[in-house]
Amino acid sequence: MALLEIEELRVGYGFPVLMGISFEVEEGETAVLFGLNGAGKTTTVASIAGLLKPDSGVIRFDGEDVAGRPPTKLVSKGISLVPEGRRVFPALSVGNNLRLGAWSRRRHRNEIDERRQLVFDYFPRLAERADQAAGTLSGGEQQMLAIGRALMCKPRLLLIDEASLGLSPALAKTVFQVVKRINEDGVTVVIVEQNVGVLPYADRALIMEKGTLIFSGVGDEIQHANLRETYLGGDH
Amino acid sequence: MLDVLRARADWIVGLALAVALAVLLIATGEEKALVIGTTTGSAYGMVALGLVLVYKSSGVFNFAQGEFGTVALYALYMLDFEVNYWLALLGAVVVAAMMGFLTERIVVRPLFEAPRVILLVATAGVALLAIGVQIWFGDAQGKPIAKGFDRVDRVKVFGVQVPDQQLWLIAMLAVLAIVLGLFFTRTNLGLAIVGASQEPTATELVGISVRRLSSFVWVVAAVLGAFAALIAVPNGGSFAPGIMTTSFLIPAFTAAVLGGMTSLPGAFLGGVLIGIVQSVATTAPLFEDIPGTKETLVVFVVLLVVLVIRPQGLLGKGSA
Repeated sequence: MALLEIEELRVGYGFPVLMGISFEVEEGETAVLFGLNGAGKTTTVASIAGLLKPDSGVIRFDGEDVAGRPPTKLVSKGISLVPEGRRVFPALSVGNNLRLGAWSRRRHRNEIDERRQLVFDYFPRLAERADQAAGTLSGGEQQMLAIGRALMCKPRLLLIDEASLGLSPALAKTVFQVVKRINEDGVTVVIVEQNVGVLPYADRALIMEKGTLIFSGVGDEIQHANLRETYLGGDH
Repeated sequence: MLDVLRARADWIVGLALAVALAVLLIATGEEKALVIGTTTGSAYGMVALGLVLVYKSSGVFNFAQGEFGTVALYALYMLDFEVNYWLALLGAVVVAAMMGFLTERIVVRPLFEAPRVILLVATAGVALLAIGVQIWFGDAQGKPIAKGFDRVDRVKVFGVQVPDQQLWLIAMLAVLAIVLGLFFTRTNLGLAIVGASQEPTATELVGISVRRLSSFVWVVAAVLGAFAALIAVPNGGSFAPGIMTTSFLIPAFTAAVLGGMTSLPGAFLGGVLIGIVQSVATTAPLFEDIPGTKETLVVFVVLLVVLVIRPQGLLGKGSA
């Protein structure tokens, strides 16, 4: 059974943004959501994380329809979003950012220490900066922290909105490699991207255009298909 | 080392200013103003802490902050007839906490998504309602209010007698400042409030209900307002409806602005600074020829000067 099933999801901000999209992500996969600005990628992941209430449609997580539930409920179910623009807490230290990330599991002290170690293992740079205010980190470090914070709640599904935005190609590659490691450690990942450099790390590719899903492929299909042309091509 | 200094820059600047002011006042023979100002200023600081807390969490200047205190005074006045003073004091704090909680539930929460200016006006409405109820309850006359400590001649600083009640005020403010400081840097709840004031979306995403935090903050702010009123006002011997709004809210607001509106130590220090400036204005020969209530005048002058020249406050960050 797929861990995440989206059926005919319609979301809008007074005007329609998602026009009824459907897709599935299997447990253990890394899925990449491609599309131009305004295609509805952020709206899709924000709806899955509970930040937006869908107008209609089903968001099934582990067999249960969770559409319209608030993020506070979804986090404890195991859905964690790294939001667009990172959104780290600038005045708090790296350590305290991670501590707040573990809010939903704050009663399990030992587990929090283990999670923190795991995050430092993924991103050794964060360990070096543990006492530094998050606002003073570089863009790449803030991205690492945002991912690390989202991992603190021990998610089963990690949603990452624009992992590589504003990062150098080398740094973007590092982030993708860590995301792959996180995935190999058992976390299902959905990553919103405009950078095709993520493809070698993906099991499934989804391409959105103007609020609809125009391509969905798995495995070899996506490695061979000329996605660059498919998704940047056309008349736009 | 340099990083540590930079992280503490607001404290260092603030302390340097305070020491410089103290030295100046002592050198010019105005040490009385220093002592009296520090004590009155402590009460401003306490009200300002409440203003800053609410501002950080709800993004709004809370006009009702003063009335949390006046309502507590009424509660103390009435309970003091029935029970022991200290029990009555505790009861008064509880009443203020309830008022803070209800204000958040009935007024702030329904306006969660509304523009902040609407919420601002709503808090002014709460203050006016509270004053109206106070007048309706008693009348507009001043009423006597009891102190916790009566001795006035125990301690002298620079030849100025500091009543025990004033010492209690300063001690209470110091304790509250330390407790709040630890709360906001060491506890999950405190960190969550700081986080929510900066990144509400991210706060929701880690599983924290920003709305639930908001009730807590309003209760804490109301308790701070209550302590300021319950400890500072009895020094004058009596109170009247709206007293905390008319004589404390503006200086406290000025204190909060001085501190940058978001800095807790800044609000504390701003309160003391305003207290000292006020008392210098009342006693210093320099201001002798100015007619009217000089202490109100200087507060507004300070407020205007800060808003025009350094709107981010003395300790605020440049871009905040």
